[in-house]
Amino acid sequence: MASSDEKPLPTPASAAAAGAAAAPPGQPTTVASQVLDMGAAAMQSLRPVKQVKQHVCTFALYAHDPKRQVETHHYVARLNQDVLQCAVYDSDAPDARLIGVEYIVSRKVFESLPAEEQKLWHSHAHEIKSGLWACPRVPGMLEKPELDHLAGTLGKFWCTWQVDRGDRLPLGAPALMVSPQADPAATVRPDLVRRRDDRYGFSTEELRAARADVDAPAEEHPGQADYWLRRRKGFAVDVVPHEMKRHAPFP
Amino acid sequence: MRLVGKWSSCDASLKLSAHPVSSAVSWSGRSVACEMPRSAHRQHASHDGSGSDQDKNHVHAWLFRQSLVGSGGVKIKAMSSSDQSPASTPASGTAEPPPPPGRPTAVSSQVLDMGAQMVQALKPVRNMKQHACSFALYSHDLRRQLEVHHFVSRLNQDVLQCAVYDSDEPSARLIGVEYIVSDAIFEGLPAEEQRLWHSHAYEVKAGLATDVGVPEQLQRLEMAGLAKTYGKMWLTWQVDRGDALPLGAPALMVSPQAAEPGRARDELVRARDEKYGVDSSAGGLKAARVEMEEPEWINPNADYWRLHGKGFAVDVVPAEMRRHAPFP
Repeated sequence: MASSDEKPLPTPASAAAAGAAAAPPGQPTTVASQVLDMGAAAMQSLRPVKQVKQHVCTFALYAHDPKRQVETHHYVARLNQDVLQCAVYDSDAPDARLIGVEYIVSRKVFESLPAEEQKLWHSHAHEIKSGLWACPRVPGMLEKPELDHLAGTLGKFWCTWQVDRGDRLPLGAPALMVSPQADPAATVRPDLVRRRDDRYGFSTEELRAARADVDAPAEEHPGQADYWLRRRKGFAVDVVPHEMKRHAPFP
Repeated sequence: MRLVGKWSSCDASLKLSAHPVSSAVSWSGRSVACEMPRSAHRQHASHDGSGSDQDKNHVHAWLFRQSLVGSGGVKIKAMSSSDQSPASTPASGTAEPPPPPGRPTAVSSQVLDMGAQMVQALKPVRNMKQHACSFALYSHDLRRQLEVHHFVSRLNQDVLQCAVYDSDEPSARLIGVEYIVSDAIFEGLPAEEQRLWHSHAYEVKAGLATDVGVPEQLQRLEMAGLAKTYGKMWLTWQVDRGDALPLGAPALMVSPQAAEPGRARDELVRARDEKYGVDSSAGGLKAARVEMEEPEWINPNADYWRLHGKGFAVDVVPAEMRRHAPFP
């Protein structure tokens, strides 16, 4: 059961056609559940979720097959100035599917990681400078200092629901994702970008021009980041049966 | 070295490949091949070579792995979720994880956050309306257990999705995701997929899973529904081994069960109960939920470890990139 499986066995869960997946199978939410949700929300503080303060729209590629590309919606929370964590969705609508998790760290933190770990991470400079990374509705002036900082960061993104292959439910193993880069193998398809731009009414080209003065780090791919670009080997994720660790019975 | 039988992405037969593992993992002394049930041979409906790829220069991922491991002494360091701990670095510790390295959040970032919040709706996140607390165990090592906090959003009556955190504090780390489906939906999944899922009946009835801060009468209905669901949880940050940052591959998690070795440890449960004012004892939630309907039947493909004595570890392996025609 590999993340690189073309398509899992056809089932009611996976759509026949490639492209954006239909809504998950199931009954519409009942009134009783809605009432419960409202009640719970009134009593529960939901603090970790309230730390999410920013929405970023960008694109990601599958590490084992960069031809497969998805528009992603990152909902970003700060753990500190150098470490961010994002719940990643496939749209910005209330019924968006939670498709994965991305962690973002500053260069300094990245450099403290072992080389093996670094291979799983990708750089952000290109996607920011090229305008692919967008904060919808946030004025350019407000985002500039943030972009200067983010251009130097590195991310690690696990996709747990492969909606681009039409999965109506999350199937299979998580997939490692990588970022768009200048390399032709890592270019986001123009039709994907156009569709995103049309929906938000902005132009990625214009964003690129506006970001000419964003400080991109001199070394775009520090350490082992963007491993696939240099080695032309992506990472696929396999789930393998594993003998249970033996241990003494609990007293 | 450990011999691992794996289901390859594109091959029907069981392939054996060797994975170096950290020295802390003891060699079990038997080849896993002996333990693999015959039913482990799988037919994969889709072969990497089929489908829309026209390029004949495909190198299948498994072929690449095979060639690397074939010659003795060649090490591929597969980054496995079952690694005891990755190479020690400032990032990996041995106990309760320290806060992630880094500077305190700068004022400029806070200003941006405030500004963004004013103009951005953050709708998917606003849709997380429920906080449930429970426990999860590592599929490849049931001894490793942690308290988990699920922030749940409902996609429809049968499908839920949860952002999973390690606490309910503002400083909580996002440690994974869980998807939850009703039994009707679960039955529609292929058997191989079902093996990655776990049942919820026991943890709900035992009072391990509970909505935090919500009186039992109000959450009864929800919990009764949850008791009949199945979940699939990937953990992306192994905080229980003290990692200050998310390291390595995602780990598949399973739910606590009644039978050893899948029971939630008493001290973990006690700590949670004290912190959140939960009474999951025999006199508390267990008693309150004794009338709760149990599913008549739990699909034997779920909770795979119970019948097969094997968990699932996640390996990240280098794969040959698919070649493709350049963009026009």
